[in-house]
Amino acid sequence: MEVLPANQFTFEQATDAYNMGRVDYLVPMPMSVARLREYADKYDVDINHSFISVDGEQQISGLLMLGVREKRTWITRLGVGPNGRKQGTGKGLMQAAIDRSYELEADKLWLEVIKDNDPAHRLFMRNGFTQTRELIVARRAPTPMDVAVHNITNVSLLNRTQMAEMLPNRRLRPNWLNETESLLNIAGLSGLMVDLEDGSRGWAVYHVGLYKLENIVVEVLKGDLAEVTTAVLSALHNHHPMRDSVAANLLEDEQWAGFQKAGYFDAFRRIEMVKPLS
Amino acid sequence: MTTILQIEDNRANRILVERVLEPHNYTLLHANDGESGLAMARSSSPNLILVDMGLPDIDGQTIVLFLKQEPALADVPIVAITAWPPDVAQQMTERYGFDGLITKPIDIKSFPDQIAQFLA
Repeated sequence: MEVLPANQFTFEQATDAYNMGRVDYLVPMPMSVARLREYADKYDVDINHSFISVDGEQQISGLLMLGVREKRTWITRLGVGPNGRKQGTGKGLMQAAIDRSYELEADKLWLEVIKDNDPAHRLFMRNGFTQTRELIVARRAPTPMDVAVHNITNVSLLNRTQMAEMLPNRRLRPNWLNETESLLNIAGLSGLMVDLEDGSRGWAVYHVGLYKLENIVVEVLKGDLAEVTTAVLSALHNHHPMRDSVAANLLEDEQWAGFQKAGYFDAFRRIEMVKPLS
Repeated sequence: MTTILQIEDNRANRILVERVLEPHNYTLLHANDGESGLAMARSSSPNLILVDMGLPDIDGQTIVLFLKQEPALADVPIVAITAWPPDVAQQMTERYGFDGLITKPIDIKSFPDQIAQFLA
């Protein structure tokens, strides 16, 4: 087994490597070349700091992509194909990412692993990662919402400047996927500010993707966290009634109740992990 | 002849379904991603559509939403085939309006009967 820089390969090969590693994965999530490129752009994944492994026959056997943001790095799209298993491929890719993160002088290396993927979780623990929190990936099929019950008095569209000012001021530390950098990488980012009759207020920022609403972030500025979240989401889904929706990496807290009331359900969970490097 | 459209990106899974169903006098059509699956569903008027939930371009869940909006496909059963954990798969099936669910790996003995039930 040999670990090589991913920039020695084409994006098509990287996509094949990713899909090969996910062929029998716990949550099947294959990607097309276009989708993987979009993912890399959105989440600051740097192909120059990513790695592909090859087996003894020089066949691609695994992939690890590395996101890079100032003093932070992020492991994503890690997968090992059937031809690379039980040969230390995952360990080799991990070590390459750790070494590269030190070279980049990152102070933290982050990742998420699908909950119940115990072999991967063990690999990360052995490599010095600790669990920080459990995150929910939620979906919502397009169903009508009764907006009237929320006593919404005003819904205004947010411009990019307003969103850029609001996104860094959130209640909780966002996960890599929902960080301000990720959202501002999206050219067509949209946002809504919602005011309620009792003075409550909240906003949503989201991306109207080709097929679904994604990168949904809701923040409550005033009022009950769950109720205002539901009201903001009702305004959002009233605005886009026919769209499928994904809200990734939510915490199971009071706000999650607001998402659930708006029709979201728990599709699967990720465990966020971090390795301090300094 | 009964026509089944299979929207599945995994070659091995596709071939397995073909080998199990073709001896039962079904004609199998195949699309290996969501975009081509939607186009084939609209153009080929299949009797049944099997959709893998995990596709490289569009999720199977999103595809079923599009298909259900097509008047010509209103009476065509759309069945999810997925390797998602059964409880999550069931929830996805119900929320997104699939007509049925078959979990992977398929049981090659019972699979033809499962398909026949959806077509009955």
